[in-house]
Amino acid sequence: MSSRILVVEDDERIRSSMRMALEDEGYDVDEAASGEDALDRFAAQAADVALIDLMLPGMDGFECCRALRRQSAVPIIIVTARTDTHDVVAGLEAGADDYVTKPFVAKELGARIRALLRRARPAEDEPTVLTFGDLELIPEQGVLRRQGSDVDIHCTRTEFRLLCELAANANKVLSREQLLDRVWGYDYFGDGRLVDVHIRRLRTKVEPDPALPRHILTVRGMGYKLVP
Amino acid sequence: MVSLAEERTLPARRTMRVARWRPRRGPWGHLGVRARVTFLFGMGALVLSASVGAISYLTTQHFLVGDSENAAIQQASSNAAAISVALSLPNPDVLKILQTYEGSGSSAVLLRDGKTYSSVISLRASDIPVALRDLVGSGTAARENLVINGVTEVAVGIPLTRQHAYYFSLFDLSQLEHTLHILALAIVAAGVLTTVLGIVVGRSASARSLRPLTGVSRAAVAIAGGQLDTRLPAGTGDADLAAFASSFNRMVDQLQERIEREERFTSDVSHELRSPLTTIAASFDVLEAHKEELSVRARQALGLLGADLRRFQRMVGDLLEISRSDTGSADVSLEDVEAGELVRRAVAASAHTLPNSVAPPEVAIDPAVIDARLSVDKRRFERVMANLLENAALYGGGATLVAARPGPARADGRPTLLVSVEDHGPGVSTAERSRIFERFYRGSVSGRRGDGGGTGLGLALVAEHVRLNGGSVRAEETDGGGARFVIELPVTEGDGS
Repeated sequence: MSSRILVVEDDERIRSSMRMALEDEGYDVDEAASGEDALDRFAAQAADVALIDLMLPGMDGFECCRALRRQSAVPIIIVTARTDTHDVVAGLEAGADDYVTKPFVAKELGARIRALLRRARPAEDEPTVLTFGDLELIPEQGVLRRQGSDVDIHCTRTEFRLLCELAANANKVLSREQLLDRVWGYDYFGDGRLVDVHIRRLRTKVEPDPALPRHILTVRGMGYKLVP
Repeated sequence: MVSLAEERTLPARRTMRVARWRPRRGPWGHLGVRARVTFLFGMGALVLSASVGAISYLTTQHFLVGDSENAAIQQASSNAAAISVALSLPNPDVLKILQTYEGSGSSAVLLRDGKTYSSVISLRASDIPVALRDLVGSGTAARENLVINGVTEVAVGIPLTRQHAYYFSLFDLSQLEHTLHILALAIVAAGVLTTVLGIVVGRSASARSLRPLTGVSRAAVAIAGGQLDTRLPAGTGDADLAAFASSFNRMVDQLQERIEREERFTSDVSHELRSPLTTIAASFDVLEAHKEELSVRARQALGLLGADLRRFQRMVGDLLEISRSDTGSADVSLEDVEAGELVRRAVAASAHTLPNSVAPPEVAIDPAVIDARLSVDKRRFERVMANLLENAALYGGGATLVAARPGPARADGRPTLLVSVEDHGPGVSTAERSRIFERFYRGSVSGRRGDGGGTGLGLALVAEHVRLNGGSVRAEETDGGGARFVIELPVTEGDGS
C-alpha cells in the first residue's frame, strides 16, 4: 500500500501540480485548500506525511501545524517561500519535522518524504530498551515513558529517532552533521537548525528543567550528547 | 528601438549620476580647516600685539626722549648762565669752572678765543658736529643728537655772546636707551606670548567647533558601512548645529527609504515569482516523468524548457539571497570546522549540481592546513564552492584543481587559509578581475554560455558569502593562462596545525 500525503496549499495550481508530481513518485495524495480543511480531512482519514504551506488564508500554516501536532505524531514538512531564520525556526517550533523551500524539485521533495517515512518505521537492529534518568525508551514499540509508569510521553517520530540516536550513543558527543545524517538522512550541508530546534523540543519533554538540562547536553562547538 | 546587440551592451546596473560638490579653495586651500583657523588666530594675535607694541614703544620713546632733551636744554641753559657769570670774573680758571658745573651725566666743551676747554679729556672739539658748531657760531642756541664712541648723547650748544665763547654741553642718553631697550624686549616678549596664546586658542576653538563634524564623519562612515539607521543626535542645544543635524538626518531618512524600497521590491518580486515557479517546476517534473509518451520534437522542447527552468529557479533563489544580504537580514551561522574536511565536502556536494560532462576537479589540501580550524557558515561556503565550480564549468571548461594552502598572516597577526579554484580556460582579463564580481556583469566571454548558462549573480554571491564569512575573494591568472579564484579566510586562533 502506498503512503498517503496530505498537501495543504491554498494556490490551486500549485496544489494540482504537486499532486501530479507526488503521484508520479508513487504516493497517494489528499489535497486541502486551508488549515481548517486540512484538519477535517486528517480527522476523516489520517495521512502518513503532511505537507503544509506556511502562508495560508485564515488559520495559518504554523497554527495548522500545531493543531495537527496536538492530535498526531504524523511527520510534517513545512513548505515556505522564505528561508528567513524566523519562518523556518517558527515552523519547526510549531512541531514540523523538516522544511522545503519554494520552488522545489519534485525529486528532492520525494527524497525528503521517503527519509521521513523511513524514520517513521523503527530500525530493526535497535536494542530493546534504553534507559536514562528515570526514563525508558523502547525503540521497537516507539514508546517513551517514565520508569514504572504506563503513560507514554508524546513525541514526534523525528524527536523519538533523535532521542534513540543519542541514547544509543550515551556519553558520546554526536555532531550536528552526524545527527542530520542519521536522523534526517542529510549530508554535511543540511540545516543545523533542524537539530537545534528538535533538541529544544525534546528537552521540554524529558528534562525536569529544560533551561538547565541534565541529560541532553550541548557541547559547544562540537554537538550534543546524552548523559544517563 | 534598440537592437538586441546594443541592448546587451547596456550596463545592467542602474548608473547613478554623481554630482560632486567641490568647495572653493582659497590660497591656503590645501590646509585643513583646523590649520587655517589656527593660522588665522595666530596671525591675528601677531598683528594685534605687534601694532599695540609698536604704538606703545614709539609713544614712550617720544615722551622719554623729549623729556630728556628738555631737561638737557634746561640744564645747559642754567649752566651756561652760571658759566657766563664765572667767566666774567677776572682770570677765570676755565677748566675748573667747566668741571664745577658738569655732573656725572654730562660733559662740556667751551670754545673761547680759539681755545678749546673740555671738562673731560676724551671729549674734543671735533666731536661736536660742524653743523651744530656753525649754528651756535652764528649766535643761535641749538641742539643735536649724536653718537660718540657708541654712546647716544644729546649735544646742546649755547653761544655765550658777552664772553665771546661757545658752550657745548653733552648729556649721556645711554640710560634712556637702556630703558627703551628693556621696554622693546618686554613688548616683543608680550607679542610672542600673545601670538602663541592666539595659536593655542585658535587650535582649541577650531577643535571645539569642529567636534560636531567628527560626529558627522563617524555617522557617515557608519551609513556607508550599511548601518542605515544611524542618525545624528538632534537635541544638541546649538541652533546652528540642530538645523544641520536635522537636515543631515532628513537626507539619511530619504536615502534609507529609497534603499529599503528598492530592496523590498527585489525581495517582493522574487517572492511573487516563487508561486508560479513552483507550479511550473512541479508540472515540468510531471512532464519529465512522462517523457517517453511525448514525440521527439516535444521532448526536444522539454529539454530546452528544463534547462532554462533550472536556471530561472536558480536566478530567483540567487536574487532572494542577494536581496537578503542587501536588507541585512542574512543570518550567518558560524560553525567551528576543519579546513580539509570543509573543502573536500563542499567540492563533493557541489559535484552533484554540475553537468555530467564536467570532470570533477582534483582536490589538493596542503598538510599544514588540513587540521586548521575555521569559523565559517558551511552552507555559505558550499554555495561559494558550487558557484565557483559552476563558473569554471561555464566559462573555463570545468575546474581542474581545488587547492587549500596557508595564506599570509593578517595585519592583526591572524593566520589565513587560501582556497583556490583553477581552470584551464581563457582566464579573466586584468580589466575584468574586479568587475567580474558585480551583479549581472557579463564579461567578454558572455557569448560562451554553455548548457543552461549562469544566472549572472553567481560570482556576486561568491563575493557576498565570502564577505559574510569574514574573508575576501579575488581573481588571478594561472601559469597556463587559465583563471584562478582565490578565497582568503581567517583561521581561528589556536589552529590545529
